[in-house]
This record gives sequence, structure tokens and C-alpha cells, in this order.
Amino acid sequence: MAIITVDSLRKSFWVNQRRAGFAGAVRGLVSRTGHEVVAVDDISFEIAAGEMVGYIGPNGAGKSTTIKVLTGILVPSSGQVTVAGLVPWEQRRTLAGKIGAVFGQRTQLWWDLPLIESLTLLQHVYGVPSDRFNANLSYFREILELDGFLDTPVRQLSLGQRMRGDLVAALLHEPPILYLDEPTIGLDVVARARMREVLQEINRERGVTVLLTTHDMDDISQLCQRMLIIDHGKLLYDGSVEAIRERYGMERTLVVDLDGSEEIEGPLELPGMTDVQQDGPRHWLRFRRDQASAAEAITAVTSRHRIRDLTLEEPDIEGIVRRIYEGGDRL
Amino acid sequence: MLGATVARLLEDVSLYRIFVGSRLRSQMQYRESFLVMLVLGFVGLTTEFLAIILLFNRFDTLIGWSVGEVAFLYGLASISFGMAELFGAGFDNFPETIRRAEFDRVLLRPQSAFVQVLSGDFQLRRLGRILQGTMALGFAFAWTSVAWSPQKLAYLPVVVLCGMVLYIGFFVLGATLCFWTVDSVEVANIITYGGTEFASYPLPIYHVLMQRFFTFVVPLAFVSYFPSLYLLGRPEASDWPQWLLVASPLAAAALFALVAWLAWGFGVKHYRSTGS
Ligand SMILES: Nc1ncnc2c1ncn2[C@@H]1O[C@H](COP(=O)(O)OP(=O)(O)OP(=O)(O)O)[C@@H](O)[C@H]1O
Ligand SMILES: [Mg+2]
Repeated sequence: MAIITVDSLRKSFWVNQRRAGFAGAVRGLVSRTGHEVVAVDDISFEIAAGEMVGYIGPNGAGKSTTIKVLTGILVPSSGQVTVAGLVPWEQRRTLAGKIGAVFGQRTQLWWDLPLIESLTLLQHVYGVPSDRFNANLSYFREILELDGFLDTPVRQLSLGQRMRGDLVAALLHEPPILYLDEPTIGLDVVARARMREVLQEINRERGVTVLLTTHDMDDISQLCQRMLIIDHGKLLYDGSVEAIRERYGMERTLVVDLDGSEEIEGPLELPGMTDVQQDGPRHWLRFRRDQASAAEAITAVTSRHRIRDLTLEEPDIEGIVRRIYEGGDRL
Repeated sequence: MLGATVARLLEDVSLYRIFVGSRLRSQMQYRESFLVMLVLGFVGLTTEFLAIILLFNRFDTLIGWSVGEVAFLYGLASISFGMAELFGAGFDNFPETIRRAEFDRVLLRPQSAFVQVLSGDFQLRRLGRILQGTMALGFAFAWTSVAWSPQKLAYLPVVVLCGMVLYIGFFVLGATLCFWTVDSVEVANIITYGGTEFASYPLPIYHVLMQRFFTFVVPLAFVSYFPSLYLLGRPEASDWPQWLLVASPLAAAALFALVAWLAWGFGVKHYRSTGS
């Protein structure tokens, strides 16, 4: 059963030309010089209850805009959307009780109140009965380890703590649907891993449907079975994460800096590797994860050349989107 | 249908109290700074009032209005505006809310956006203007020889409330503009703050175009000048039927509130958030 349906969704913004000064402000009221930015361009998809779907794409692709339409924050230019059977921008208040949202870039908490007070206010905002509130709070206290900072004003929390606070805030009223817009942004490796575990648990134990945007391919491969890829407002891919991983995620890149004493013109010739890019002594060597381990690849290079430095690059979202274009394939 | 609407309204009211309560608690944590701000605000406004009184040092009357009568207009405008600021300042600060896309958060919650914005910036130090206005009214009572009948005394708070509604209406309309352009908010501010200045003096001292503007477009004269004619028993009052003078604040406030409410609802649908 689809809990979210999006049909031919389009959202464009009219960007006005700014004018300086007071007179400019007055003229800005009446004149319509500017241009249109199409943020979401004819997108359709469905999400079934209980799914955890990754929504990815490069900067400015239209991810946040889509999520804002699905929450009822933005009214779309055209298209049909239902979330939990409701039209978000028309039944915003009813829908609000059924969704939770975390915007990694911006907190939903009260900046100058201690975290616990923000949460109590939200209890009133969402009309959560006391017993449910207490049960949920103690559940999240445990899995998110909130105890150290419940009494700290939100503005003094670290980014990782704040993000955990925001996650609790989004889930206290037990919404069946959770939107996460870059919930791991700026977190360190440990905090990120912890966040993923919690999200997985919430999705599995509580059956919460999750739509997640991120720039971290690891988030997607560890959390989601399915993903949507968009770019320039258009849907490029809707399918399994596995298929993308097999097709593009297998390709890792070894970036090596050759020692100055080696003067080599043109690409390196190495078995199982393609030298896709060169810049002075630096070479980008692409190889497949299923054909060689990183160690084997490094050995293959070092046995033939003297190198000064190397790094290993995993495929990122931007890279995958670029490759989809290069291949010219709409999957 | 009606039941559900009423239930929602009650919910909104109780939420308003909870939000305002939490704002008050966090402000009370800095009690000293609160008192300093209150006193500074009061002193600042007192100079404004003094300027009016000093004007009467050179003229005995202002187009036939005595110092006490002008103090009455000033007090009335100050209290109304002060209350509007106290209760509706969330709308006054709306450009910031829009610029920082904090309105996203408002729309994520299951309450009316209106109530959330209204309760968003409650600051007790704004009591300064109300105190100041009350003081001006005190002087007005002392300096004029108006017979304050029980009807008039009961009517005075009605006028104040209507004025408050009208000023909040300005804030709301100004805020509504922000859904399209944050840059134009200065235009709205000029009308709002200019409006209080305007309401502090008798209508006929202004150019006729301005009189019409503040009567028919922005109906401020209906919550200051016209009811004051009746309350102060001014001779001009006989130019108008008494019921018209008495009813004008109510009609103006109701109409303006309706316009502001409709415009707001229309504006919310045009909210565009920000790109980052
Ligand atoms: N309020 C707005 N006004 C004007 N343009 C906007 C607005 N919101 C988004 N846009 C534009 O719409 C496009 C999509 O923006 P959106 O924020 O949805 O991208 P995104 O996929 O979330 O990107 P990112 O990964 O950088 O967060 C961008 O070109 C952006 O500039
Ligand atoms: Mg975004």
C-alpha cells in the first residue's frame, strides 16, 4: 500500500531581480522582472508503508524542495501528491501529526530553551498523552544516549547532540512517516554510524516509513534498499540500491602521485585498471571492487612505479550521477 | 464542523498560553536586563510625550484642541499600539522569520500558523509603551473637564481593543507582504509607525489626502479621532450622528481584521521557503 504518492510534481520559483534602496523596494512590489527556476520538474513516484527510501542527487537537484512539498510547507506549481491519504498543502494541520521531519541544516528546537523543555513544549504542540510521551522519551533517551545533555540549552549543543535532539523531536508524537533531509551532515564517523543504527532500528521496530536525503553514499547503501536519484529537478533513477552499486558502486578510484623521478607521458598501462585522468604526476586509476581488492590494486601500481602518495576514492553521488549521464543511460 | 472548528480554536488558545509562558520563563531568567530594558523604553517614550506638551508652551491650543485632549489622543494611540506590539510582535518581526526560513518550522506543526507567529515573540519589556500611554491618559483625565459617564468609561477599553486589533492587522498585512518580497517591508513599517504618530494628533491638522488615506484606506481615524470626539465631548461631534461615532471603531476593526486574515491565508499559500 502506497503511503506516499507523487504524480507529475512540478515546482518552480520566480526569482525577482533585486533592486537597491527604498525606491527599488517599492518598485519590487509591482514589477515582475526576473526569471523562473524549475526546482522540481515532473517527478512521479510511490513509496509503500514501512519502506526506507534514499532520495539523492547533487546540490540544487530539488531534493529539499520535494520534501517541503511533501510536508505541506510549499504549495507545488502543479501535480498531485498524497501523503497518508492527505493532500499536504490543503490538509497541512492534520498531516502534521502524522509526519516527523528533520532538516539537518536547521533545527526545529527552541534555540534558547533546554532540550528537555523543547521536548515538553512539543508534547503540547502535538497533544501527546503523558504516558506515551514518557514511554517514548525513555526509549529515545536510551537509544540516542540523551542523558548527558537533556538540560543543556539547544544553542550550546554540539552538532551531533543537536541532531539527536532533532530526531527525538520529530518522533515523539509517533508519526508513521519520517522525512530526513541530510540528517548526517557534519557528523563525524562515529556519530554518523550511531545515527544510522538508530534510523534502522526506528524503521524496523516501529515500522516508520522513511524518506532520506543525503550526500553520503554510505548512508544509502547501509540503510536503503531502494533509491531515487534526481538531478536538475528530473528523476533519473528509481530502483534498487543494489543495481546501482553493481553498476557504478563497484568502481573505485585509486589516486596516485608518482615520484618526481618518474617522467611518464600519457596514461599508465596497468592490468585491470583504467587511467581515466591525469594531472602532472597525479593519476586517477579506476578499478572494480569485485575484480581486485584495494591492496591488490596498490600492489599492482607499486610493483611497476615509484609513488609518493596515494588515496582511495569511493564512488560518491555526484560521481554516480555524472556516470549516468556519461553512459547516456536512463535506467 | 462547527464543533471541530471551536475545538481547534480552544486548542490554539491554550497553545498560545503555553508558548507565551515558556517565552516569559526564559525572559525571567534575566530579570535585571528585563527591568533595565523596561525603564529605558519608558524613558525613551517619555521624551516623545514631553515633545507634545512642549508644543503647547508656544500655542495654547492646536486647532482648538487643548493639551489634555491631545494627551488623550496620544495616550489612546500608545496603549492600543503598545498592546498590539505586546501581543502581535511576532508579526512585526516576520521578515526575520522569513529570511531565516523559520516559517518552515511553523508549517510543520499541527497548529494554525497565525497563532504560532502571534505567540512567537512575546516580550514583557514592551509594557513600557502601555505604561507610558496610561500615564498620558492620566494627565488627560486631570487636564480636561470631561464628564466621564459610566457608558464612556466602559466604552474606552472597547476603543483601545479595536485600536489594538487594527494595529495587529497592520502587522499582519505587512508580514503578508513578506511572502512575496522581504525588501518591501520598510514600506509597511512606515505606515504602521507613521500611523501611531498620525493618531496622536487631531485629524484636521493633516492634509486632506492624508486624512482620507487614514480614514478610508487604513482606517486609523476610526479608532482614534472619531471615538475621541464622542468621548471628549468635542464640538465637532455634533457634525456626526452619535451612533456612527460610537460604532466606527468596531466596524473598522472588524473589517480590517477580516481583510488581514484573508490576505494572510492567501499569503501562506505563497510561502516559498529558502533554497538552503
Ligand atoms: N525559496 C526558493 N527560492 C528560489 N529558488 C529556490 C528556492 N528553494 C529552492 N530553490 C532553487 O531550486 C533548486 C532546488 O533546490 P533544493 O533546495 O531543492 O535542492 P537540493 O537538492 O535540496 O540541494 P542541496 O543538496 O544543495 O540541499 C535550486 O536551484 C535552488 O536554487
Ligand atoms: Mg537540500
